[in-house]
Amino acid sequence: MNCLRYPATCFIHKLGRGHRDKVQQFMAITGSSEKAAVQALKASDWHLEGAFDIFYSQPHIRTVTDSRHLEELYNRYKGKMLVVKNEGSQDPYVDMILVDGITLLCNDLQVDPQDIVMLVVSWHMKAATMCEFSRQEFIGGLQYLGIDTIEKFRDKLSYMRSELKDEQKFREIYNFAFGWAKEKGQKSLALDTAIGMWQLLFAERHWPLVDHWCQFLQVRHNKAISRDTWSQLLEFAKTVDLQLSNYDEEGAWPYLIDEFVEYLTENGIVQRHQN
Amino acid sequence: MRKIVDLEEGLELVQKGITKLTNILEGRAEPSFITDECMMLYTTIFNIASRNYPHDHSQLLYDKYRELLEEYLTSEALPALSEKYDEFMLLELVHRWKNYKVMVRWLTHFFFYINRYYIPRRSLTPLAEVGLNCFRQLVYQVLKDKVRDAVISLINRERDGEQVDKTLLKNVLNIFVEIGSGKTHYYETDFEAHMLRETSTYYSQKASIWIVEYSCPDYMFKAEECLKREKDRVLHYLHEISKPKLLQHVTAELTVLMKQAEDAASNKKVLVRSVIELNAKYLAVSNDCFQNKSPLRKPLKEVFEVFCNKGFSGNSCVELLATFCDHTLKKGGTKNSSEAVEETIEKTKDSSYGDITTLSQTVKLLAYINDKDLFAEFHRKKLARRLLFDRSAHDDSERSMLKKLNQQFGWQVTWKMEGMVTDMTLAREIQSSFQEYLKSNRQENPGTDLSVTVLTTRFWPGYKSHDLNLPSELIKCVQAFKIFYETTSSRRKLTWLYSLGSCIINAKFGERTIELIVTTHHAAVLMLFNSADRLGYSEIKSQVGLTDDEVTILLHSLSCARYKILNKEPNSQTISRTDYFEFNSEFTEEMKRIKISRPRVDERNKVIQDVDKDREYAIDAAIVRIMKNRNVIVYQQLVVECMEHLKHVFKPDIKAIKKRIEALITREYLERDQMNPSIFRYVA
Repeated sequence: MNCLRYPATCFIHKLGRGHRDKVQQFMAITGSSEKAAVQALKASDWHLEGAFDIFYSQPHIRTVTDSRHLEELYNRYKGKMLVVKNEGSQDPYVDMILVDGITLLCNDLQVDPQDIVMLVVSWHMKAATMCEFSRQEFIGGLQYLGIDTIEKFRDKLSYMRSELKDEQKFREIYNFAFGWAKEKGQKSLALDTAIGMWQLLFAERHWPLVDHWCQFLQVRHNKAISRDTWSQLLEFAKTVDLQLSNYDEEGAWPYLIDEFVEYLTENGIVQRHQN
Repeated sequence: MRKIVDLEEGLELVQKGITKLTNILEGRAEPSFITDECMMLYTTIFNIASRNYPHDHSQLLYDKYRELLEEYLTSEALPALSEKYDEFMLLELVHRWKNYKVMVRWLTHFFFYINRYYIPRRSLTPLAEVGLNCFRQLVYQVLKDKVRDAVISLINRERDGEQVDKTLLKNVLNIFVEIGSGKTHYYETDFEAHMLRETSTYYSQKASIWIVEYSCPDYMFKAEECLKREKDRVLHYLHEISKPKLLQHVTAELTVLMKQAEDAASNKKVLVRSVIELNAKYLAVSNDCFQNKSPLRKPLKEVFEVFCNKGFSGNSCVELLATFCDHTLKKGGTKNSSEAVEETIEKTKDSSYGDITTLSQTVKLLAYINDKDLFAEFHRKKLARRLLFDRSAHDDSERSMLKKLNQQFGWQVTWKMEGMVTDMTLAREIQSSFQEYLKSNRQENPGTDLSVTVLTTRFWPGYKSHDLNLPSELIKCVQAFKIFYETTSSRRKLTWLYSLGSCIINAKFGERTIELIVTTHHAAVLMLFNSADRLGYSEIKSQVGLTDDEVTILLHSLSCARYKILNKEPNSQTISRTDYFEFNSEFTEEMKRIKISRPRVDERNKVIQDVDKDREYAIDAAIVRIMKNRNVIVYQQLVVECMEHLKHVFKPDIKAIKKRIEALITREYLERDQMNPSIFRYVA
């Protein structure tokens, strides 16, 4: 579970070091949320064993989803197209939610298919590729989120949007987007798609140089984007200031970013004062 | 009782005092001042200045001060100085300056009251400075050039080994500084600039003499000695501000010959050989030089590196060196070669230099080249042509060259080329066996003399194999050899490279038979005319089975070039698809045997492409090797180690390394550390 790796909520920061460790241990073992962990530990006066007892004797905090409802939902959206498989065997329905299904889903949710919240949804579902959900991905994702009706789904949307404001989550979603947006079987992301994704993502987390970056790529690079460039761009946007004064050209930045910096200085977009 | 001081009287007293002082300074018989006399002078001035209210004679006194000094200088100092020359003049100057300073000091003393009260009130120039200005205007400005020249001439004499009066020089040069109130402005403008120019001239002359006189190691030692002496010069009498500029000028002159070599080489016509000859003297010493901390080490090394890595009118030095080696290793003159001598190189008349030595020196030069692999690839391509077209002067020289390259660069660079040379020996053996085989199996004889060179693919540069439709005579040849070859070795597949082959064709032009030496491709075209009188372009093309480009080149060389074996209709200079060709039975030529040249191949782009590709693999391999070893490494360290790994072959540029790192991340050999993106981890 991703959330266990980054215990970064302010909640936990108020605890002392020893307590923090216990909370993490507790969460790792029981799979519970931070809140539940802290509650249980507090109640047991910070003894791990006692906390386990308390936890297991209480009803589960996680919402249980109705698997029948989930099946119904899935069936509503899954593909209605005929697909001819190998050796002429035919399956009347392909067992995935495809573009049509997703459009319908968005409709039901009253959300634009281009809305970035769909990216967050896909992230929760660990979707392999954009514009499709496998059965496992769809049902598994909704279970995790505790959703089994459209209404619950709709309610959860604003929470999901808010997740983009969290630094850690945004980074995960951003990095997830690379694998999700690229073509199956390709190692790199087509430039046009990458640019589209960047426009979308940096609308949520403002980076003033994004337009220059996209322009630079079209003019100077005009090729697909590697995973490393993708992930390092976010680091660049987060850490390097707009005057590029703290940019280290001897550093480990991907060469494309080095070139971008050159491009900015050459074209006078940024006045760099080298030390 | 106070005496009322009369202005005239007072001034007279002052004048007397000055005269006394002058006499003392000039060494004339004069008793020295006693305290009372000094007091009297001081008081006189005081009185004049303060007592004559409402008439304030302070200004008068102020002017008088200057007048007195000017008079002193004009009547005593200048005449004395103008009589003397050179060193004597310098001595006199130092003496005069010393005296003058005393004069100024005493006068300032006497005129103290003015200095203290009048001058500040009126914001006038203080007396000491006035004194300085007088000297500067009246003496310094007049004499400075002569002084400068005299000093420089002394310096040069010292450089030539004479003993000179260093203290004198120091004192003179101090004047230049003192005259600027301690600032070095006058020193720099009136002395230093000229001195530096003269120093350059001096050393430039010496350098050209020494280079002829001395052996290389001795020249180096001499140069170092000079630098040391110049440094001492600064310690002893030059102002320390001159030190860096001086050393720079001297170094520049002594290494100028390297620069001349560089310039000479940028002239298109100059042979690489003469550059090497020029530098040959220094190559031997370069290692010694680089061991010790000679100040010449860096400039020398830099000059070599710049020279070796720069371009000359579009050709890289690498390619020029490879071409140079090619010429050195080729047979005799250029008569046999069907390739025109490249315009950038002329054959030297003096070939008695000794080819092996030349090659050793060339290889040593290669140590400075960054693109060693590029040189190797050019060399390999040219070696292939030498070997295949029998242009190599001697197998031994080839092997000797390869041995040197091996020593310099390692086996990775030379193994293919060594394979190529060995192949030629083996090929000769196979050919002998083939001849023997034909003798014993007369029925297998194809009727045409055939000689085949069998190459091992992996050693040789990539050659395209064409789907050439051979004339029947040649098909028989190929078949015969195939059968023979199958009897000899294991299941080795033979791929025929007709583009590299050649044929001797007896062509009958009327009564006369002329031997044509042509390529196999040419032969395929020509033999078509044995069974047809007239053929169109498309027919030729379809019969021969080559591409348009290839057919065009072939037909051009047979119908529009020097020897018109075929007549072309229409008789233009370009080949078009609607042309028709006929055998030219009217063709005449004095020689009994003529050669139609092989089409020129521009290898350069292909070589560069191939080398770039190989470099990508090499960098990949180096990175993976390093990562396997280290597991975790900081980016900067990775780059350093990568360069270290590869330095014997080429110098990778940072961007190339970054690109490969990125590719390896995509292929999941490495990843960045989650917390610190400057750290890389090996992904097992």
